[in-house]
Amino acid sequence: MGSISELVADRRVRMVGGLLALVVAGILPALSGSIAIRADASFAVIFALGILSVVVLTGYVGQVSLCQATFMGISAYGTAWLVNSGVNYWVAAVVGVILAFGLGVLVGIPALRLRGILLAIVTVGVALSFDVYFFQDDAFAWFNGGGGGWGVDGATLFGLQLDAINPENVLHTYWLLLAVFAVVAILLVNLHDSGSGRRFRAIRDSELAAATMGVNLTKYKLLGFGISAAVAGIGGAFFPVVLGRVSSQPFSFFYSLQFAAFAVLMGVRFVPAAAMAGVFMAFVPELLIRLSGAMHVEISYDYFSIVLGALLVLQLITAPEGVWGDSAARIHHLLHRNKRVVAEPTKVITT
Amino acid sequence: MLLQLEGATIFGLATGGIFSLAALGMVLVYRVTGVLNFAHGAMGMFSTFVAWSVIYEWHPLAASGAEAATQWPSILLAVACALLFAVVLGFVVENVIFRWLRGRPQVTKAVVTVGILLVLQAAASLRFGSTQYHDAIHFPGFAGVVHVTRDLAVSYDQILVIVVALALALGMAAFLRFSRFGKAMRAVSDDPVAARLWGIRVNVVGSVSWIVGSLIAAIAGILITPFINFDTVSLTVLIIDALAAALIGGLTSLPLTVLGGFVLGLMESYPKIWIQSPGFSKVVAIAVILAVLLLRTDRNLLRVGATDDG
Repeated sequence: MGSISELVADRRVRMVGGLLALVVAGILPALSGSIAIRADASFAVIFALGILSVVVLTGYVGQVSLCQATFMGISAYGTAWLVNSGVNYWVAAVVGVILAFGLGVLVGIPALRLRGILLAIVTVGVALSFDVYFFQDDAFAWFNGGGGGWGVDGATLFGLQLDAINPENVLHTYWLLLAVFAVVAILLVNLHDSGSGRRFRAIRDSELAAATMGVNLTKYKLLGFGISAAVAGIGGAFFPVVLGRVSSQPFSFFYSLQFAAFAVLMGVRFVPAAAMAGVFMAFVPELLIRLSGAMHVEISYDYFSIVLGALLVLQLITAPEGVWGDSAARIHHLLHRNKRVVAEPTKVITT
Repeated sequence: MLLQLEGATIFGLATGGIFSLAALGMVLVYRVTGVLNFAHGAMGMFSTFVAWSVIYEWHPLAASGAEAATQWPSILLAVACALLFAVVLGFVVENVIFRWLRGRPQVTKAVVTVGILLVLQAAASLRFGSTQYHDAIHFPGFAGVVHVTRDLAVSYDQILVIVVALALALGMAAFLRFSRFGKAMRAVSDDPVAARLWGIRVNVVGSVSWIVGSLIAAIAGILITPFINFDTVSLTVLIIDALAAALIGGLTSLPLTVLGGFVLGLMESYPKIWIQSPGFSKVVAIAVILAVLLLRTDRNLLRVGATDDG
């Protein structure tokens, strides 16, 4: 019999665990008839995709980015813009994701020469200039829909109606998103173990060593940025159908910061951590609103942000691997220690 | 309102003074402690709102907030409170947070400042409201203008900003160059371990750098309020302009940083002659950042990114 830690490491066990989590995640929002809960469930998946994009870029390739919400935004705006020009939603969504991929590669170009904080500065600049200019300014009204943004009625997929109004249709959107998330997550886990993934990790651990071993830095850095932006873009492409409209607020600089903060807090190298973080990010505000209603005091979303920032600081001081990574390491340590005690019974008796 | 060339120059110099000030504090902290502070704008913002709160909410020396805003004693008390808060904030940030992060990669420290930014931003939004416009902090008597020509007027506010920026930059450069403590700060920035071996108290130097950085951020925040849409977000996102100015100075040189601030101010201001768009200035800032980072061949600057691999 293998120990529990070996069991957890087993791929099949992980697959079953993931599948179980997926089924539970699929059923839970269906139990509630509330549109708000179901829409929040969809947002949880979208946010999880945003955080997943940080996992790819920072966790796999080791590049810093504070503009992931921008990648999400360009895809959401691109999708909404094309839909409003009469293009089929799914064609528009694919174009949106391609737009995000393209912007990711563009942002990756400075990363060829810059690392660490200098790259972070560039991404802050990208996030802010999109936030306050390209997503808001009337000069780009053809793309951002002018002051109020775009409205999107909904979409159909194989006769299935998806929109933000009917509870049934909201649930359909959520299930589709969940399936997409599962596929993306599996692809990313596989990417991690593939040849490209090894090259990514080589770049993360040491660019110099990776280049010495013959890794094409230019290609794989740009690819890393592109894939990461596309993952965020997939989340963004669903934004119009989940919310029914697109405006600049969800893609602001502060959301980019929250994505980065959450990814680092939960553990920047772990795919399940991203899913957990997405659930927190979408449901805690809703929970705070409900709590406010129950307690007859207003509990603002800002408290959540304060706690998030404070936890991030605390975690970077005490547990740099992130919540997920750190607890995994601790559990492993605990199991390992128990095994040793069992393995050396004589010592225990003699003392 | 579209600006004329002369007006744009004056406006650009004034906002450039602010950028210089904001960047100065950032560069000082970065040089001495190795922390690139993304929360610099947020720290200045919170201190500025302390002053705002004293004037418009508390107004101890006047009957109402509006009256307090026109009286010297109230204004001075408010500024004193803001600066005191800035000192405490700088001290706390260094001693409660960054003292425990010595020797960590620069990126980690930068991400920690993102956490600080989120906390300060959300706290300010809770306490002062997130998006609505707040009344600016004016110094009484500084609202007037000097007519340089018939069409061109320079307000005292603008002159004040430019003078304060230049004075602080020169003063700080002189302090770093000539004073004993300034020498200690430079020693720590060159090599903290060697500095400690020579008997320099690195923790004290770190605390002082953070306090001075926080103070300058507060001064910049208070001085800029008449020129911007004064809310919690616009001061926080000022970091991108400060970063652009700081990069022009290579993250090390104080005089070049100040020059960079003024140049950036002008570059952001001149387009306003042709296009009216509040967000366009950020595009200019990122263009400047990219241009500096991609065109500069300064080894020291590029090493900034390379040293934090481990």
